[in-house]
Amino acid sequence: MDKNDHAAIQAILAGDKEAYGALVVRHSQSLFRVAFRITGNEADAEDVVQDAFLRGYQKLGSFESRAGFGTWIYRIAVRCALDRIGGRSIHENHRVAEETDPEQDEVQVADTAAGPFHLLLSGEIQAMREMAMRSLTPVERTAFVLRHMEDLNTEEIGVALGIQPNAAKQAVFRAVHKLRLRLAPLRVRI
Amino acid sequence: MKHLNEEDLIEHYYTKGESAVAGQHLESCAECAQAYAALKGDLAKMEFAEPPIRDAAYGKQVWQSIAPSLLAYEARRRGWLRGGPGRALSYAAACALLVVCAFIAGRQWEHRHIPAVAANNPAPARQIEPKAAQPREHVVVVVLGDHLDRSERLLVELKHADADSDELVAPMRDEARNLLAANRVCRQKAEQADDPALASTLDLLDHLLAELANQPDGLNTVTLTRLQDEMKADGLLFEVRVLRSRIPDKQADKSARHQGGTI
Repeated sequence: MDKNDHAAIQAILAGDKEAYGALVVRHSQSLFRVAFRITGNEADAEDVVQDAFLRGYQKLGSFESRAGFGTWIYRIAVRCALDRIGGRSIHENHRVAEETDPEQDEVQVADTAAGPFHLLLSGEIQAMREMAMRSLTPVERTAFVLRHMEDLNTEEIGVALGIQPNAAKQAVFRAVHKLRLRLAPLRVRI
Repeated sequence: MKHLNEEDLIEHYYTKGESAVAGQHLESCAECAQAYAALKGDLAKMEFAEPPIRDAAYGKQVWQSIAPSLLAYEARRRGWLRGGPGRALSYAAACALLVVCAFIAGRQWEHRHIPAVAANNPAPARQIEPKAAQPREHVVVVVLGDHLDRSERLLVELKHADADSDELVAPMRDEARNLLAANRVCRQKAEQADDPALASTLDLLDHLLAELANQPDGLNTVTLTRLQDEMKADGLLFEVRVLRSRIPDKQADKSARHQGGTI
């Protein structure tokens, strides 16, 4: 474990609350990155980062120093992000609009008559990818993000999500399968 | 030939070709190779929006937003004192009450059970003396028991002592000086009581204590080793333990006193 992290944790447990500030500053960026990838928007990602650090502080007494603090707080952030997207569905949160606006949870659905060049120019491919991602269950989405973007192996994903490695692997398989089905029209057009 | 299914292909993709079996199969099977190429193409295109860049001040902003809601660990640990002096005093009073109750209960238990214990553990016949000699003999036996206890501890320390360690050797020398006078009194008493075994052991002990107490230059390695060898050759520690086992301990002694007998 990072010596600075270890020293900060010892100081916090001895009553120096301010020492936690150093840990927050050091690990905020990586937590924001994974939180954004899982939740898909900035506001949720920022909330997840704060929740994760709050939960981390509350549980710091049970933190085992053989694990790195960065890895530990990262897992907490993944759980927070999973909680955040839990229960959210594409139908509840998104509506079709004239323009794609992730902040407003609005998406412009591609006109199937439009050519692939037009699709590329309008950024609709990206919007469809986001739509496809939002069609996944929270666990599938999170497992896929951790595998595809964060490059974690199935054991690490299992630990982060609190599930067995084989269940994590199956979640990744299902996610990839669904995404390929959803994005199949793009493949034909491009 | 068994083809690879989608799960196999996905696994192969993410483990970056770790599976040699799948890799060999893909080299020899055009159908699976084509499916794998399609999968690779799809996954390669799954590029999602990169997270927005957060500047260096972001971490501080997060900290400032959560810091007010955090309670310092030390304060939480001492939370029971937060009720003020009154609450702390009530805890202290409760603890004191518990101690007093435990003491009274112990006394009661002792009064009820000591006669039975004494009756079940009669003293050795040799030690039962006429009533006129009881107080003086009792004192001697108790002193002898204490003396053998202390001697045994000193011998154990001597057995494991290291001459290089001054903080261990100096107290041992002081203890030997303290024990020397008591040992001589006990030895005289043993001779008067015609107890040759006790007298002999105390004589050996006397010799050792004198050596230990009167080293002018302190204990060096050679002297310490010699004393340890002597102690071992005489079996002194064993002898002291045997003698100590003959002396009833203080608890039994108290029992007898309550019963009115003598040890």
